[in-house]
Amino acid sequence: MLMTDAPVLEISAEDALASQVTRELPGWNPEIDDVLVCRQVRDETHDVRTFVFSAREPRLFRYKPGQFITLDLPIGGQVINRCYTISSAPTRGHLISITVKRVPGGVVSNWLHDTLKPGMELRAVGPLGDFTTIDHPAPKFLFLSGGSGITPLMSMARTYHDLAQDRDIVFVHSARSPADIIFRTELDLMARNLPRFSTAYVCETTDTERAWSGFRGRLTLPMLRLIAPDLEERTVFTCGPAPYMAAVRAMLAEAGFDMRRYHEESFDFAALAEAQPDAAAASAVVPVPPPAAVARTFRVEFAKTGRVIECDAGTSILSAARMAGMRLPSSCTKGLCGTCKSKLVAGTVDMKHGGGIRQREIDAGQVLLCCSKPTSDVVVDR
Amino acid sequence: MSTMVASSLESLLRRRKPGYSLEAPFYTSGEIFEADLDIIFRRHWIYVGVEPDVPEPGDCMVVDIGTASVIIARDDDMGLRAFHNVCRHRGARLVLDEKTTVGNIVCRYHQWTYGLDGSLLFAEHMGPGFDTACHGLKKVHLRNVAGLIFICLAAEPPADIEDMARDLEPYIAPHDITNTKVVQQIDLVEEGNWKLTMENNRECYHCSVNHPELTIPLFAYGFGYAPDEVDDVGREQIARYDGLVRDLEARCEARGIGAREIDHLDDRVTGYRAQRLPIDQHGESQTMNTQVACKKLLGGLNDAKLGGLSVWTQPNSWHHFMSDHIVTFSVLPLSPERTLLRTKWLVHKDAVEGVDYDLRNLISVWAATNNQDGELVGYAQSGARSPAYEPGPYSVHTEMLVEKFTNWYVGRMSAHNAARAAGDGAR
Repeated sequence: MLMTDAPVLEISAEDALASQVTRELPGWNPEIDDVLVCRQVRDETHDVRTFVFSAREPRLFRYKPGQFITLDLPIGGQVINRCYTISSAPTRGHLISITVKRVPGGVVSNWLHDTLKPGMELRAVGPLGDFTTIDHPAPKFLFLSGGSGITPLMSMARTYHDLAQDRDIVFVHSARSPADIIFRTELDLMARNLPRFSTAYVCETTDTERAWSGFRGRLTLPMLRLIAPDLEERTVFTCGPAPYMAAVRAMLAEAGFDMRRYHEESFDFAALAEAQPDAAAASAVVPVPPPAAVARTFRVEFAKTGRVIECDAGTSILSAARMAGMRLPSSCTKGLCGTCKSKLVAGTVDMKHGGGIRQREIDAGQVLLCCSKPTSDVVVDR
Repeated sequence: MSTMVASSLESLLRRRKPGYSLEAPFYTSGEIFEADLDIIFRRHWIYVGVEPDVPEPGDCMVVDIGTASVIIARDDDMGLRAFHNVCRHRGARLVLDEKTTVGNIVCRYHQWTYGLDGSLLFAEHMGPGFDTACHGLKKVHLRNVAGLIFICLAAEPPADIEDMARDLEPYIAPHDITNTKVVQQIDLVEEGNWKLTMENNRECYHCSVNHPELTIPLFAYGFGYAPDEVDDVGREQIARYDGLVRDLEARCEARGIGAREIDHLDDRVTGYRAQRLPIDQHGESQTMNTQVACKKLLGGLNDAKLGGLSVWTQPNSWHHFMSDHIVTFSVLPLSPERTLLRTKWLVHKDAVEGVDYDLRNLISVWAATNNQDGELVGYAQSGARSPAYEPGPYSVHTEMLVEKFTNWYVGRMSAHNAARAAGDGAR
């Protein structure tokens, strides 16, 4: 046999692997192990990729399924922060992964797809977030996901699957076409392994699969009642683009659903992290065109700066403004801190604040832009 | 406080002659001023305002006591809370205006956001290891006594505020502070030590000559006189006054309204006194014509002629409750020789200015009286600065309440020093 350097390297790699699976690993400490090394890039669909990371040293990642991490991405000479929900499950703690859809013209998603390769390192902060079934246990769940909003729900489903927790879960995913269904084979596998785990796919177009037997069109309440006849008994977790979630909320309201058992994850926080043009799209692409009523777009005029932007009924004015490149004072983006409080000179909005504004101020025409979605053309005194 | 200052303060306190004014350093020394802030203003219940200062959820009032700044806020359940006005991030002052309305309490510096229960709701960029539960606002004790707001900066506030509350409530409650509104506030800076402001308030020896407006409704003799020096006219007035006192007490007792004197000015940690005093002529209110200044009477009162309930608390307040309006005074030290006198005028919350009351008429007596008192305090302060000053005797006939104030002050300061010395010994 000819001995070269190669087998020697192989042996040492195997040793490293042995130590990872046979020794007790320290837990991931995000404060110290704040650099993640890309280990693998997987193609999920034609335009969705999963990026798999480990810490520099072998670590066991601990997080609640549904949480997100924030990555520092060195793009174009500056560092851009972007939040991504974790698509992997903590039951497979050696690695952590995010799953990202490529968006035409999207700076961040294209950078990830084109640039991030195994061996590269990124700084990360997290995990954060309270969108998790762990904190809201229930006997029956209904997971509603749209596009790449599937990731946190996938993390939860994978966790129940890996722990052989036969939980009653109905997993509904809306995609543009069958070819756009992310994690389809794995979802089907989980449905085979777990007796009370079922899936339903809703596709707007089905050209990519002639024998499509799932639902066609967009998610509707009658469709939802077919998929989950015991809808009222379930605890609902929803993640997807804002218009998708707005449509879901409208359906549940119509069904008289008890919204105390409703949880949703907004990707707005990613959109608001900075005013990057593809901010919203990077995290949650919109594969399902929202219903016409939700998709209405309004004109938002900023009186002081003279800027005019468009904002659809499912997007907060602050979010739309930032996506248009405006820098308005804001901080929490949850309607808590009131930093974005502004005078509404004309028009009407739908505002769901978190205590950052008083009724008296609302009566006096003030609104919080971070949690106000237009319901007509509006003029804001900013 | 350094040991040297403590020992010199201690000897000054020990050699204080009862019945005499205090020695000059008590009115001029920066060290004693610091000791006053520490011992009196950070360890006792301090009167800071009234419930209608923060009438609705989200309303905040800021009160500065020495270097401490305190937010008094109305929460969403209509409860009153007090917090140190200090962001838990890097200490910035949170609420900048004396009165404001907030959604949540948000630091302008980096937008740390606190709920009205003081809990930290939001702090951006602090990372995953950051525990918001450990960074709530620091609470300050607050006790609402029938609508008067007292705060205490000490970790363990004097418990006997409950005695004061129990005694004063039957007197104050009929005036229903909760359903009033503050229609005027005047902040007057007096050029004198805070104790001179208090001492000046605790006697009416100076009234007849200095307060032409106040002595229209008020009887200077109501605060004592030397019986041997009273002439025939004086005797007549005193007899009439005594009759008015009896009449007022009977009238109030019939209505279940507190009127008789209660006095714990110097025998409690939380000192207080209350008495309903007759008003001259029409007997209604402390106004230039002794008639009510506001047509809408307070609470459920249906008799305008209820005189004026005077309430005094140690160390820093006095109050006048009439059938139609309330005047309330808070004394806050600014420096050894400067003091803030904060006066608020309250009327029924439904009273309409220009219809039910005329603001100028409402405030005329006490706005004038305060200015006159401010001048007098300034004279007293400049006297205390003089090398010729030495403690002088209080009148045993007209300055008993001054003596009680001074006695309370010396007692509290001494008690604290004694406790401190005992603590030092144990160490």
